[in-house]
Amino acid sequence: MMSVAASDTGRWTRRLCLMALLVTHLPGGVVGAAELPPLSHRLTALGEPAPAPALRLRDLDGSTHDLADMRGQLVLVNFWATWCPPCRREMPSLERLYQQLRDRGLTVLAVDVGEDADTVFAFTGQLEPAPSFPLLLDSDSRSVDDWRVKGLPTSFLIDAQGRVILRAVGGTEFDHAATLEQLSPYLPAP
Amino acid sequence: MEPFIHTRTLGIGPGRCSTTFALMAVAALASLPAASLSATSEPTRRDPDTGAATWETQAHGVTLSLTQLLPDQVRAFYLNRGFDLADADVFARACVFMTVLRNDAAPGELSFRLADWQVQTAGEARGLPPVGNWLAQWQARGVTEAARIAFRWAQFPPEQSYALGEWNQGMLATGLPPGSRFDLIARWTVAGQDYEGRVDDVRCSE
Repeated sequence: MMSVAASDTGRWTRRLCLMALLVTHLPGGVVGAAELPPLSHRLTALGEPAPAPALRLRDLDGSTHDLADMRGQLVLVNFWATWCPPCRREMPSLERLYQQLRDRGLTVLAVDVGEDADTVFAFTGQLEPAPSFPLLLDSDSRSVDDWRVKGLPTSFLIDAQGRVILRAVGGTEFDHAATLEQLSPYLPAP
Repeated sequence: MEPFIHTRTLGIGPGRCSTTFALMAVAALASLPAASLSATSEPTRRDPDTGAATWETQAHGVTLSLTQLLPDQVRAFYLNRGFDLADADVFARACVFMTVLRNDAAPGELSFRLADWQVQTAGEARGLPPVGNWLAQWQARGVTEAARIAFRWAQFPPEQSYALGEWNQGMLATGLPPGSRFDLIARWTVAGQDYEGRVDDVRCSE
């Protein structure tokens, strides 16, 4: 089972302390382009649903989350990094999706690749809406390799039986109507 | 194959004199550097803030774009990821582009390996420097593991598959000196069929 999150006080203290760090850590100018590639509006159905690889990581507060404990739920696993432009662009839509569907059983796990808690916290504190789902740390990039991800961002939808059924390679607008329509069959009726 | 020079278009007309003129023109053009013989392709667009140029092409339902990254931008990115200045500078001088490949309407799921792509410059074709070579170099130079992880994942994927609508964005180094001009030939397969797209006369940042 996932453990209890740390207090809000600690979170806000860390947020304030890291505000200055934010400016020097975001390489927006490096990877920004004059015209950004459009976010995708579709997920790719996998022909043969396969058992999801293991995923057991700590979040920003040190609490451990284990995908194996989430059988029976629909889980969206998103691999990302703060310096990755499409990851940054899709993150608010991931939160909006979570807000829309969590009551119908959707869980979201965002797995940051190779960065520390301070860096991730500084970035997500700037997002609107800020992520309310767990932000996990794959500091040594072992999990992203286990999942055979080749580029960031990449997301997977895991069904109640623990199988990977959909994927999204590249930045995706998760709360777009077309994306929601693809997710709908896997969720109980509202 | 179509002749390189049509005497009729030169307005000279048939005859010995026009043939001589044409041969002289061919000889003069042949003495120019190879890049001059390529058709110059202007960038598709420029970033209004940085002036960075983007070259973009569509081929067989696939969009490929290359956007110049200024050496200072690359240097700053890797300094912020834990590289020291000397290490970041090595990569910053390797003619790096922000690269996007996207399956917009290919006839199926495409797959590619950067090992199959080529850069043509000064009449010579060469492969792209493999990401693994860069990583080995960083390890030998003592770059930290965290910085190497950031480097690896910031690169355009060495191999990848895209279903319809899928794409990636990442850094691609040609290894050419600043200011070089080159053509990039990208290759991919769909259901065992080979496809190719190219971007001509791309210029590395100075």
